Amino acid sequence: MLNKLKEVKICARAGRVTLPYPAEPVPPPRNLRGRPIFDASKCIGCAACANNCPAREILVFDPCQEIRILKYLGRRCTYCGRCADLCPEKAITMSHDFENGTAAIGDLQQRMELFMSTCQRCGRCFDPPSVLEQLKLKGFRFDDLQNERWIFGSRSYLDQPLSDDIELELDLPHPEE
Amino acid sequence: MIARAKLSVLKEKFGPAIRRADLPAENRLFLYIDPAAVRPICQYLFRDMDARYVITIGVDDRLYSNTFLVAHDFAFDRDRLLCSVLAQIPHEAPRIDSISDLIPAASWAEREMRDMVGIEPVGHKYLKRLVLPDGWPEGVHPLRKDIAWNEVPPGFDPEREFTFDEPPEGCTVVPFGPFHPTLDEPAHFRLYVEGEMVRGCEYRGFMVHRGIEKLAESVLGYNDIPMLAERICGICGCVHSVAYVQAIESAAALEPPPRTQFIRTVMLELERLHSHLLWVGLACHILGFDTLFMQSFRVREPVMWIAEKITGNRKTYSLCVVGGVRWDLPADLRSELLDVLARLEAEWVAIADAISGDRNLQKRTRGIGVADAALVKNMGLVGPVARAAGVAIDCRRDHPYAAYDRLEFDVITASDGDVWSRLLVRAREVFESIRIIRQCLQKMEPGPIDLNIKDELPVGRIGISSVEAPRGESHHFAITGENNRPRRWRVRAPTYQNLQGIPAMIKDQRFADMTISLGSIDPCFSCTDRLETIELKSGATKIWSQQELMAMARRAEEK
Amino acid sequence: MDRSALTAILTAIYNVAAVLALAPLLEGVLRRITARIQSRQGPPLLQPYFDLLKLLGKEDIESGETPVMQRFAACLTLASALTVACMVPLGFAAPLQGSADVIVLVYLLTLCGICTLLAGLAAGSTYSLVGISREMMAMISLEPLFAAAIIAAAVDARSFRLGSVLNGSVYRTGFPISGVVFAVVLLFSFQGFVQRLPFDISEAETELMEGPLMEYSGPKLALFKYAQMVKLVIYCALFVGLFVPWGSALPFPFGWALFWIKVSALVVLVTLIAATHARYRIDQAVRYFLAMLVVSVVALALASYGY
Repeated sequence: MLNKLKEVKICARAGRVTLPYPAEPVPPPRNLRGRPIFDASKCIGCAACANNCPAREILVFDPCQEIRILKYLGRRCTYCGRCADLCPEKAITMSHDFENGTAAIGDLQQRMELFMSTCQRCGRCFDPPSVLEQLKLKGFRFDDLQNERWIFGSRSYLDQPLSDDIELELDLPHPEE
Repeated sequence: MIARAKLSVLKEKFGPAIRRADLPAENRLFLYIDPAAVRPICQYLFRDMDARYVITIGVDDRLYSNTFLVAHDFAFDRDRLLCSVLAQIPHEAPRIDSISDLIPAASWAEREMRDMVGIEPVGHKYLKRLVLPDGWPEGVHPLRKDIAWNEVPPGFDPEREFTFDEPPEGCTVVPFGPFHPTLDEPAHFRLYVEGEMVRGCEYRGFMVHRGIEKLAESVLGYNDIPMLAERICGICGCVHSVAYVQAIESAAALEPPPRTQFIRTVMLELERLHSHLLWVGLACHILGFDTLFMQSFRVREPVMWIAEKITGNRKTYSLCVVGGVRWDLPADLRSELLDVLARLEAEWVAIADAISGDRNLQKRTRGIGVADAALVKNMGLVGPVARAAGVAIDCRRDHPYAAYDRLEFDVITASDGDVWSRLLVRAREVFESIRIIRQCLQKMEPGPIDLNIKDELPVGRIGISSVEAPRGESHHFAITGENNRPRRWRVRAPTYQNLQGIPAMIKDQRFADMTISLGSIDPCFSCTDRLETIELKSGATKIWSQQELMAMARRAEEK
Repeated sequence: MDRSALTAILTAIYNVAAVLALAPLLEGVLRRITARIQSRQGPPLLQPYFDLLKLLGKEDIESGETPVMQRFAACLTLASALTVACMVPLGFAAPLQGSADVIVLVYLLTLCGICTLLAGLAAGSTYSLVGISREMMAMISLEPLFAAAIIAAAVDARSFRLGSVLNGSVYRTGFPISGVVFAVVLLFSFQGFVQRLPFDISEAETELMEGPLMEYSGPKLALFKYAQMVKLVIYCALFVGLFVPWGSALPFPFGWALFWIKVSALVVLVTLIAATHARYRIDQAVRYFLAMLVVSVVALALASYGY
């Protein structure tokens, strides 16, 4: 009995803690990892973000040697912030947007088309910050932008037709080979 | 040198059966044995040397050594040693003697090994499918290297149904789950009820099985996996991410900087705080006591806010990378954390005091769901469930990791082994966690928070790591590999073992007490299930969410 | 039509209307107070009205074993609750008090409980059946308590007529021990009658099992929920009528208002107890009620000797 009264005392002391959100906005803390925002003016097209996104949500497509398309899909993005950490030019900021619910999945996409000046010998190279970030994907990239799929193999070539039933290649050597 | 001492004892007893022994550190022992001797060696370890059984792992090592590998992990809690007994079995005959009659705790692990890697445990008494869905064709074992992570096996039969066991005589079957208001996640307990008393149950789980281990082996890299690992569980994410990076660091013999260790400890204890506070609320909710449920959640909320301020998210801290952490603790956040802890402690003292004398609560929890020390030993139960039965095991003290070897704290135990004892243990552990965090903040020195690894990690090394999750010991086993990803990664969540103790805990008890008994082990089915992705219609690269699976089920029904 | 029949009809309409109108409001008060104890804001006071309207507007899905019986059970619940409402004085003399006696009242109250059993049986799922077995056990131990209290009052009033019993008859001859004991016993088991924590074992047991109301949704569920709210008001009114009669003899607005104030106070008491307790198991509840029953039998014996 006494303990019930103690419990009631705890409740009474606490008062009402319901916040009137969403009628009144609640300011998010400064470190909140919300939606990443890509700044095309700072981006150099190194694709460090794409190679290290754990959800594989950033696709890279090179229509020709000078142009690289980087597309952030935002569907399975977990807001981990690795892209922002690894970007050498700090072109990605984790904003405070957490109210990202939308009926059209395309609303969250961000697409950057970059004009690249290339290395004459290899196409484009970048130095990953650490060996643990290497996915060993170099050279021209041909992720499937239309079907929004990552192409894992790094041996795709320009003249290979891009279609729906493109074969997915793994990095791991197949036992039969 | 404890590891060497244990090794010499084993060598003396088993001599030629031990083919090779690796002692990479004084708290790790890897024994490569002759597969024929697996039963006597495991029995000797479990019974005579009183080791605790942790998990059994099957590895498809055919690409590298042309064999399959079976690892039985044991823990010597009083001696601070983690030991793995490895047997290499020939690839044309993947069979090994089952140890589940000697060690009942190995029952699920061997069934899983059979489902996923195709290694047959000879002599296992109950070889029903554990993890794979019912329509999955025989002979297709997902964790083998020749099966791709997104492969759709031909011959998948979506119509095939699960065959349940026959209930014992005189019992009606009451299905509990998979959809039930009390359960946060799907799990199916088929209860055999006689009148009001439960006489037994059959468990069918692994419905939230997502293909995490296969993904880690196939498509992710070393530093991508912590992001996946922290999503294994909805509450104890940091634990899995820390356990994984520690396993890799142990395999590669990397020592992260001291400040990293302290930060990891602080975040792990913050996670323990929010998990225990959530559990107390949940247990009260199961008992119908919604007021205490609301109050615990109110008291817990500042912990979530401070975690969000430090790491950017309330629960998925995205904290670890191999060799370091990503977020630092600046001075202003440090003082704010101390404030939050002070206020939490004051509130929790009042609540714990009110609960401990509450006879209404005690009537519903005393003598319910009893797990005694013998069950703890046989089924390998861990965490507050074991501590409430008087078995004082705690990985923070027994297998120190992160900064725990530099901190002082008590291991809380109780003696009755029932739901009430577990409530008391968890309520008191809140105070210990607060104490630990305060010590960390005091002892933390400024310094680097990342190792900035420049070289590639060595390949083919085994690393094991045990971390004390709020629910018990979370054990990770990893073998490093090429292409910046592990060859094998096995996650053993604490609920994996604790669930195996449930049938004994609910037997001969009233039906009404079933939910609170289940709730008292603080089940986390997501942690337990984590394994295989079901790819059905397209060949699309998807990780199926629960909603998608349900939508698929609905579509199948409409057809 | 003579005056007494007209009064009876008007009072009947008033009773039914008052109970239907005020029961959700009192339920709203209950939810609000519970929320404030839980440090929450709580739903608006009129929320139960909206809930009932919403449920009534939904599709009447047929699920469960015997849908016809399910519909019948839903209607019977509310119907019996409202009939009891006509037999209970709600500020004025009860309209049916001339045509029934306390035995019929006890039977009708039991009928309200049996409707839940009927509901569970008609639904026929495993959980419903377990739920009604618990409800049966609870009812078997609870109904005798109420019957004993009513009979003691009847013994005191030397009549079984509703009118004489339900107007504070226990205190007719001063403060008899039996009257006080019954008041205490009923107060301590009140939560069981109105099916709130800690004794809401059968119906609201959504955590442990879904209970007899499992296969009900839409309009049928609305009727059950309404009946539950009405039963809360009825039991409070009965308790006030039996044991807290002071002030009911005051002239019209005051006596009537005082009655409703007393009922509301009892609802608040129910809320406070419900918000601060965990649910008991059926065997613990039955043991508790049986202990109360023993006490009430002793008190009944005392009452028959005039104490």
